Parts: sequence; structure tokens; C-alpha cells
Amino acid sequence: MTSILEKIKKIDDLPTLPAVAMEALSLAHAPNVSISKLSEVIHKDPPLATKMLKMANSSFYKRGDKPVETIQRAITILGLSEIINITSSVSVISTFTSKKGFIWESFWDHCVATAIVARTMARKIRMETQGREFVGGLLHDIGKIVLDYTVRDDFNKALDLSITRDCPLYEAEQEVLGTTHMEVGAFLAERWNLPDYLRDIIRWHHAPEMSQFKPMTALISIADLLAKAKQLSYGGDKLSFVLADQTGWQTLIEHRYPMDELDLERITFEMDSLADTVREYIKSMSE
Amino acid sequence: MELASQPSGILMTGEQFLQLRDFIYEKSGIYFADSKKSLLENRLTFRLKAYNFTDYEKYYYLLKYDPQAAKELRSLYDTITTNETSFFRSPPQIEAFAEKALPDVMTRRQKAGEKTLRLWSAGCSTGEEAYTLGIVLKELLQDTLREWDIKIYASDISEKALRSAKLATYNEYALRGVPVEVRQKYFKAENSQFVVTDEIRALVELQFLNFMDSQRMQLMKGFDIIFCRNVLIYFDDAARKKIVSHLYDNINPGGYLFIGHSESLHNITRAFKLVHFPGALGYKKE
Repeated sequence: MTSILEKIKKIDDLPTLPAVAMEALSLAHAPNVSISKLSEVIHKDPPLATKMLKMANSSFYKRGDKPVETIQRAITILGLSEIINITSSVSVISTFTSKKGFIWESFWDHCVATAIVARTMARKIRMETQGREFVGGLLHDIGKIVLDYTVRDDFNKALDLSITRDCPLYEAEQEVLGTTHMEVGAFLAERWNLPDYLRDIIRWHHAPEMSQFKPMTALISIADLLAKAKQLSYGGDKLSFVLADQTGWQTLIEHRYPMDELDLERITFEMDSLADTVREYIKSMSE
Repeated sequence: MELASQPSGILMTGEQFLQLRDFIYEKSGIYFADSKKSLLENRLTFRLKAYNFTDYEKYYYLLKYDPQAAKELRSLYDTITTNETSFFRSPPQIEAFAEKALPDVMTRRQKAGEKTLRLWSAGCSTGEEAYTLGIVLKELLQDTLREWDIKIYASDISEKALRSAKLATYNEYALRGVPVEVRQKYFKAENSQFVVTDEIRALVELQFLNFMDSQRMQLMKGFDIIFCRNVLIYFDDAARKKIVSHLYDNINPGGYLFIGHSESLHNITRAFKLVHFPGALGYKKE
């Protein structure tokens, strides 16, 4: 019997990441990326370029009073890594919201929430991320899209099981599908040629100690949980957790991040408006 | 017409403020920061007027040396405490209590073969929180409630608030967060007021308690879940540390503490484990 993962690997018409997003992502961490080079890439996709300018002028990203009118200007103002965040966000979200069936809204709510929380946490613990945390948060659950695309009925069964049993979705997936959204996502990451750090976040965000990019994956694992605690989750599981007991938390302590300084109660309280921020972000992206 | 410029309270000198602030702090742990001078003025004006005093000096001496001091002290507590509360306040916390903390504690108790539950609404004000916990318990346990030995202690430093809690009679506004079917089940309408049913009232035991009374605090043992919400905000860090350390000692291993939705124990203690429930935080004693 072939496993579901093997079957998925043989499917030819898997969702594809827009060429521009792939190019932007690969540029992101290449040395000496120039503004003009990135601007050139974005211009290859005129609808993307238009959206990009809208995003740059949205309340989420806007700096100062003057409207941003060119991509070059947007890059100068927002910085390279922010532009790469926006490019990948816009292209990934718009590619996948057009497919029917999946509950896109809550899926992207969770992904954007994770990205925003990851950014907040990275700032609090002073982690140098070059914007990777945002893209990582956004794409960490990408395997769920593939599961929905390829084995929807069984994936729905796993979703139901995680609700009735009040267990993590990946446990239900393992039981129903014999694979998980992390495994499937990691496969997609390879097929899409995503950077190594992203593949690792996608593969190990529930077991960050296994990642080659431990602090970053650990950060996403924590952000993932916090987003869920703020009821921005996809997958039904309504779990309770002790952050300090998570391997992701321990990993960050081992890497000498000042976790003990964090007033988690205050941070959690400040995230009360997270749902609004997420909606605002998605709205500005989809307008 | 000079009325408009007259202040509503009797003015306090800076020295009087410090004297009274320190006195109140020493007795109750409740702390009025410098920015709260006019609040204290407004509240104590009522006490001064009760004695026809025109300045705080006399009142301070009464509190300190008069044979009636103990009695006045209790009126003072009534005056300086805030009694803002409602039924089912901060619903995600009540849900975390009902769906996570309570089942966790009850399973543990049942395994140990003890069907007892001790809850405490610490700083219960006019009783809404304590009765809410009672209603949640009844909803969860239904007919099996009587198989359990359950007590919900509800304590406050204001006797006035406790008297009101004892009446268990509330207006429409206090019930604003109560679902209709819960209202019908657990409240009797009387003269446009709502009275908590006897069954729920029987679960709650009200008592006067000053958090600074270490002897009494040490006697409050064996609690499974404590609610102390929006209470610590009235204390300074030293008093908070003292209170929370008592609360920690008073909770059984495996038990929970809930504080206010916007409060934090980050600077107070690391003894508890911070638990993220769906939509709410709680503290667990391991």
C-alpha cells in the first residue's frame, strides 16, 4: 500500500508558488541584493506591483504622510526584507484564496496572526531575523493547503477528530492520514525550492529541537501557540498549554534569548487586538 | 455665586494625605499612590461628614486613638474599596474555569477518591463572582452536584459589600452578562430585582477577611481554585507579593489561581506555572 505522502509526491498538478514570489524569496537572502534588481522582479508581475503599492500605503506599513508612488520608493522606505515579506504574502495568499472548498479565511487568519506574533516576539527578545520570522509565520502551515487539495475528505476527518478528541491536529492527521501537514508541507517546500530555513520551519514547527534553524523555528512554534491562544486558529483543537514547558521555549532559552524577562501576561493582554490587526492586514492585501 | 468653584470633597494637605495613606496601607495593604490624592479626598469626605469633622486631623486621631476606632476602621474599608463587578465577568476566564481548570481538578480529586471541592472568591465584593462559580458548578454537575462536598468561600474587607452579597439580590445591570436560560434557572424575580436561588446560595460562604491579616490568611488552606480578579490592583508590590504568597500556600498542588484579565504576576512571583487557556490565562500550582 502506498502511503498518502507517496501519493501526494506523485501528483503533478500541485499548487504552484507564483514565479515572482519564488524569485523574491530567493533574492531575500542572497548577498548584495539591489533595490533595482528587486524592483525589476516585482514589475514582472503588474497586478503584484499594484497590490504592493497599496500595501505600502496601508495603515499597516505606512510611514509618514507622503503617499508611496513607486516600487523603488516603497523598497527604500520599507526596506528590502519588508518588501520580500509583502511580496511573498501577497502572492501566496492571492494564489490560494482563489481555490474553493478550503476555509481560507480562518486559515489565513491563523497564518497572518502567527506572522505578526512572531514579529512582535522577535522584537521583544531582540532576535535578528531579517524579516524571516514574518514569512515563516505566514507559510508554516502550508502543508494543510496540500492536504486539503489532495485528500480533502480524509483531511476533514482529521479536523473533526482533533475537535472531538481535543488533541493537536497533527496527531489526528497521523492517525487518519498516516502523515502530517508538516511532512507534506516540507515536501511542497522542496518542490517549490523554498529557502532551507522555510522548509525547516514548515517541517519542524511542532518539534523545533529537530530543526537546523532552531531559534527561528522555535520562535514560530511559540508564535503559532500564542496565535491559537488568541482564538486565531485553524484546525479546531482548543488546547491549553504552558509556554515555559514547550520545547520551543526551552530552545530559545538555550540560545540565550531573554525569555525570563518577558511579561507574558502583559504581552498576551496586548494581543487582545490581534484579530483586528490580522483582519486589517488581510484586508489591505486583498483590496 | 461661588458654588461652581467649590470642590466636592474636603481638601487634604500633603501631610495629611501621607499620614492617612500610610495608615490605610498599614492596616489593609491598600495603597493610594500620590496621583490618587483627590480620589482619597472624595471618598473620605463622606466619613468626615458623618462625624461633622471639617479636617482630616481629627479623623486621623479618631482612627488611631479613639475607643471607636475598630468600628470606624470597618466603615473606612467600606469607603475606600471599589465594588465594580458583575456576573460572568470576563467570559473567556469563566469558560477556562468551567471547561479546563474545573474538570482537571475534579478528575484529580475523583482519582484520589475525594469528592470535595474548595473554591475561593478572594475579594468577592458584592458576591457576583462567587455565585457565578456556583452556577457554573451546578450547570456542569447537574444532579451529581449533591454527591460532592463543595464550598465556595467568598471574602472581602468591606462589610457593606458582604451584607449586599448576603442578600444575593441584584438589579438588571449586574445580570447583563447572564444568558437568558441561566437567568431563568438561577434567579427569582422579585420587585424588579433578581434573587439568586437558595440552591446556589447554599454553596457560598461569606466572610470578612483582611488580606493583611497573616494569621487568618494562613488558615485559609486547601483550595482547589482561587479567583482573585482585579483585586491586586489596589495594592502596592510589597503587599501584592505578600498576598500572592499566601494564595500560593493556600492552593492545593494541581490547583489554579485566576487574576484579572489585564493583570500580571510577572513582577510578583514565578512560583506558579502560567497556563494559556483558549482566550484566557490562569496560574497552576504544580
